[in-house]
Amino acid sequence: MMNLDPRTRIIIVFIVSSAAIILKEVKSLMLLLAFTLVICILSSVPLKKATMRLRKLWYVFIVLAIIQSIFTQGGDALLTLGSIRLLTTKGLEAGISIILRMSIIIYSALIIIIASPLDMVYGLAAMKMPQEIGFMVLLAIKFLPLIRDEFIDSITAVQLAGADLKKIPLGKKISLYTYILTPSVTKALRRARYISLSMECRGFRAYPTRTYYCKLKLKKFDYTIMAATIASIIAIILISW
Amino acid sequence: MSFYTIDSLTFSYNRNTSLLENISFEIDNNQHIGLTGDNGCGKTTLIKLMLGILKPQKGAILIEGQNVKDMPLSHIGRKIGYVFQNPEKQLFCPTVWEQMSFSFKYGNEGNRHIMEDRINHYLDLFELKKYKNDSPMKLSWGEKQRLALASVLSRNVKFLIMDEPTIGLDMLRKKQLQKCLQALKDEGKGYMIVSHEPDFLERYVDKLLILTSKGVEVR
Ligand SMILES: Nc1ncnc2c1ncn2[C@@H]1O[C@H](COP(=O)(O)OP(=O)(O)O)[C@@H](O)[C@H]1O
Ligand SMILES: [Mg+2]
Repeated sequence: MMNLDPRTRIIIVFIVSSAAIILKEVKSLMLLLAFTLVICILSSVPLKKATMRLRKLWYVFIVLAIIQSIFTQGGDALLTLGSIRLLTTKGLEAGISIILRMSIIIYSALIIIIASPLDMVYGLAAMKMPQEIGFMVLLAIKFLPLIRDEFIDSITAVQLAGADLKKIPLGKKISLYTYILTPSVTKALRRARYISLSMECRGFRAYPTRTYYCKLKLKKFDYTIMAATIASIIAIILISW
Repeated sequence: MSFYTIDSLTFSYNRNTSLLENISFEIDNNQHIGLTGDNGCGKTTLIKLMLGILKPQKGAILIEGQNVKDMPLSHIGRKIGYVFQNPEKQLFCPTVWEQMSFSFKYGNEGNRHIMEDRINHYLDLFELKKYKNDSPMKLSWGEKQRLALASVLSRNVKFLIMDEPTIGLDMLRKKQLQKCLQALKDEGKGYMIVSHEPDFLERYVDKLLILTSKGVEVR
């Protein structure tokens, strides 16, 4: 339950998700998923809550897996309809590996997502990413929900003004939505301008080089966990060979 | 039958704290209600519940005997005009004129002939005519407030709910708002106004609801 350095998080996620794409065997993907979950627990990702919140995503994956299993042929037939082989061992494997692969990528991404966004900016800066770009990423992440909220507010206002969105014909509805989206974006952009003003008031980019209030330092734990990740991935690859 | 029936309403934003608990009151047709209470006591929340924007955890809200939770927002909006506390949340059209005419185009206000007359009347009253083709977003706060008021007052609704409409209005505009309230009274329309100003609460309200942490007190 230690607080990982943001750089450690980025490196782990990079390695794990690349491995998830490279590995093909169901067995090794299972091992990788188990490993990812252990790392998640170590870096205190709220697994149960996250799984609940991503519920809708799992349905999509299951549908994907079913499609994948039906269209991948080969191996022995498990389920046939007349002369059509509906499900084969190869197909089942393909379906299962898609679910495993997606789970690995999602759960490993959680390791980054639960870190504080500002920490991630520091982490990116420490990895030689320009500070400005790091900040842009941070702001973009903050702005998405803002734009969404503005849009929801506008939709509420539109309905309370008496417009029945269900009864308006599609063409008119599309023009109505674009109509509303413009002010929502305008409002969000105006907020962005205030943010940039207040950042400038605090001396953002006033000097070419920048010092940091928080100095990031890789701890022993970070090195251990990075080494463990690399070792485990190599082991998993070797096992599946 | 009363116009609004609020029956043992309970609501909170999260599980740990309770905001509104077991609140009941009624509003008759053509009644003029004032709602006051400390900052953050839940006045805006109560109004959002009354309009069906938020859903109560317990209890029911009826408009003319029909439960708000079974009515689409647009139907509620056709009966009740709502002036948001934050006018920026209410204004969504690219120009002032379109904002004013929106309900006539998309709602049930119908009658195009009276539309222009009514809109012009209210734009004149709140001195917004010169901004007719400008974006509402460019207006000052007070002007936005006036536009939000004008766009709701110009509509033909049975009942109006105004959430702190006097904030940000200067003396002259407050007088004009008072005139509008008087006009609504004369037309036999009911309204509910959230305000902290004794002037409004004494002269333009028949029944005062005071929202406290214990419930509502009727005066
Ligand atoms: N969307 C929300 N989520 C959580 N809490 C909220 C939300 N909106 C308002 N609150 C809280 O509910 C309380 C009542 O707010 P509000 O109804 O706006 O009060 P007021 O009586 O001043 O209009 C406040 O303490 C406020 O912080
Ligand atoms: Mg309020």
